[in-house]
Amino acid sequence: MAKGIISWIDRRFPLTAIIKHELTEYPTPRNLSYWWNFGFLAGFVLVLQILTGIFLAMHYKPDASMAFDSLQTIMRDVNYGWLLRYLHSTGASAFFIVIYVHMARTLYYGSYRAPRELLWWTGQVLLLSIMASAFMGYLLPWGQMSYWGAGVITNLFGATPFIGEAVVLWLRGDFAVGDATLTRFFALHYLFPFLVAGMVVIHLVSLHTVKSSNPSGINLEDKDNIPFHPYYTSKDGFGLGVYLIIFCWFVFFAPNTFIEAVNNNPANPLVTPPHIVPEWYFLPFYAILRSIPDLLGGVVAMVMSLLLFAVLPFADRSTIPGGARYRPIYRVTFFLFIADIFVLGYLGAQAPTGYVVPMGQVATFLYFATFFILPIVSKREDKWLRARLPQELLAQFDRTNALAKGQNKGDAP
Amino acid sequence: MSRLIALALCCLSYSAWASEEHKLAKVQVRTDVQSLERGAETVISMCTGCHSLKYIKYRDLLKLGIAKEKVNSWRGSNPPGTSIPSQMSPEVAVKGFGSIPPDLSLMAQARDGRANYLYSYLLGFYVTPDGKSGNHLFPGVKMPDVLGIAGARTPEERAQIEEKARDVTSFLMWAADPHEQERKKLGYYVIGYLVLLTVLLKLMKMRIWSRLRNN
Amino acid sequence: MSDSKSMDKPLDCPERRNFLEKATAVVGGVGVAGASWPFINSMNPSADVLENAISEVDLKVIEVGQSQTVSWEGKPVFVVHRTPAQIAAMQASKGGPDPQEDTARTQQPEWLVVVGLCTHLGCVPTRDNEGWLCPCHGSRYDNSGRILHGPAPANLPVPPYKIVSSETIIIGVA
Repeated sequence: MAKGIISWIDRRFPLTAIIKHELTEYPTPRNLSYWWNFGFLAGFVLVLQILTGIFLAMHYKPDASMAFDSLQTIMRDVNYGWLLRYLHSTGASAFFIVIYVHMARTLYYGSYRAPRELLWWTGQVLLLSIMASAFMGYLLPWGQMSYWGAGVITNLFGATPFIGEAVVLWLRGDFAVGDATLTRFFALHYLFPFLVAGMVVIHLVSLHTVKSSNPSGINLEDKDNIPFHPYYTSKDGFGLGVYLIIFCWFVFFAPNTFIEAVNNNPANPLVTPPHIVPEWYFLPFYAILRSIPDLLGGVVAMVMSLLLFAVLPFADRSTIPGGARYRPIYRVTFFLFIADIFVLGYLGAQAPTGYVVPMGQVATFLYFATFFILPIVSKREDKWLRARLPQELLAQFDRTNALAKGQNKGDAP
Repeated sequence: MSRLIALALCCLSYSAWASEEHKLAKVQVRTDVQSLERGAETVISMCTGCHSLKYIKYRDLLKLGIAKEKVNSWRGSNPPGTSIPSQMSPEVAVKGFGSIPPDLSLMAQARDGRANYLYSYLLGFYVTPDGKSGNHLFPGVKMPDVLGIAGARTPEERAQIEEKARDVTSFLMWAADPHEQERKKLGYYVIGYLVLLTVLLKLMKMRIWSRLRNN
Repeated sequence: MSDSKSMDKPLDCPERRNFLEKATAVVGGVGVAGASWPFINSMNPSADVLENAISEVDLKVIEVGQSQTVSWEGKPVFVVHRTPAQIAAMQASKGGPDPQEDTARTQQPEWLVVVGLCTHLGCVPTRDNEGWLCPCHGSRYDNSGRILHGPAPANLPVPPYKIVSSETIIIGVA
């Protein structure tokens, strides 16, 4: 019976072929660590955010005079409304944790390098879309932090040369953040996740074209690949279980960790809260913005801090494939870079007084410097390592590089 | 300990509080119905003269487990579905205080420090040298010292007021998040279930991956 | 999570593996079902909507021979204070196509409580001395809310209600 149905479908749609190609016969390196779980987790979080979001939207009212109240109705009167809301608000932070780990893994193991440039860039577009989505979603509770955060960020567009003021006015649809802003942010916040889902498909098609990287960076022989299902489905399943335990602990026992106290006050256009901070996931970029004393310069720096990731596949000029596995200098650079991001994040949360400003400028400088010294550092490191590493390993590197360039396997020594 | 800190708070001068470093007294929030009922009593008799609790309806108090007679005496002729109003009209409030006193439904979650802030604020009143009422956490406070902490003379009196402040804080914590107990109870089941599921998934994973080693 | 390719490989203990697979599938399935309940239940009426399921009516203001329309569950409910003549007439009749005793439709004969939506297509019938006439398709109801003639198939339904005292009734509670 089931077989009959499947063969009926197969004659009209390549169902079995797709499952085989993408799952049961899709070759995956056998040495992937648990750091490779985070891509799947990001997909899971996206689905959960969309689901909780749709159900919340059934009760939420995108109207400046009703938004705050409707959220309280959700929290108090709607059956399990509190659960949906806390899943969604905690999920937003969880999304960024998962994505940042996913990115850090990509950086550490050099997974962005050839031939995975497009995979990396589609990931960048995904990150930017999710950030935009999170920013717009944060306005919806219509609390004080929502309101003033949206005000500050939309003001950044005022740095656009010549037409800044008009752009800000256009974005808000009002002279200040207002009802029009809230309604359009809601409309776009509902739309964006589906765009993200579409881009995830592109990200995955790209992944399945170039296949997964692996911790060693060396492309494995066919015999070292295993089918994605059941090996990595079972590994992802276990990872998901661990993730859910941590996630649900926050949802059920500490959901207010990710909700600013100030945001429990309804938006008031006449009073700015004493200390406006963006959500934690924007803090490093916020610190970069503040480090440049000029508004336009700050905005450019902040945008560049995100866009510069795109040049990494070219900035890394080492001929040794992969990331930190065989490259100690790269590894040190990576950890310094991550530490710098943490410092920026910490500074972003502080009031810009005393040591915070100069320290932020130093950290910002180091952040950008990393991108500019990487070509030099990687080249020198390459020279240094080539003189020291065993011949056999170097041969493996060259074989991998040849594969990355799309040459025939037979050409490799 | 918390009493000591609260005492210490009161001794500190205003200028120390103007700085960013607020040391808040830690309060152990209670969740038993008796404490919440005492807190509700205090809030309704002392706070709703000026403040509303617009997201709390009288029926919510019934659901919480407060006796019907008591709730009826609080609500008077209002139907059980009315939210707890402020006795003061907005016009009078603006005339008297220059602004409308904030709604208290979310107050316990609306300031940095949350419950600890509220508790410390209630106990943070003192008499300024020129005989006015001041608050260590809120310079320029317009609310009077309703619990009377500034006038407490003996340690017993002080302890009584601290109890009252703790009950008020507990009640307002409940008001800010009425589903908290239900949420935590459900949380234990959810986490317990997830641990079981994760163990099973781990066993599955080990079993499947063990095939690789056998070959 | 089985694939035929791996099944032909020699396995250490197939029974245990099958048990483990089934147990995980069952536990996982229970979890998905359980997790879907909050989503489904969130679409049920919320607490503030359920409040509308109980309406209190003050009987003092309804004079003999008068009718008042109150809202219950968002629907109109007619509360009629019937005259002795109306009571006598209604108790003597069994209505029309959907015969029913008047005593089966009231708790106290002077008070008639019926949901004011025509059983034909849901219009609100208009009151007159004889009972009600539906403005949409002309269904005629008597002073017991029973259908006499017209397209409506049934009598106006009696909602659950309780006469608490001579002054109040609560609609929505049996």
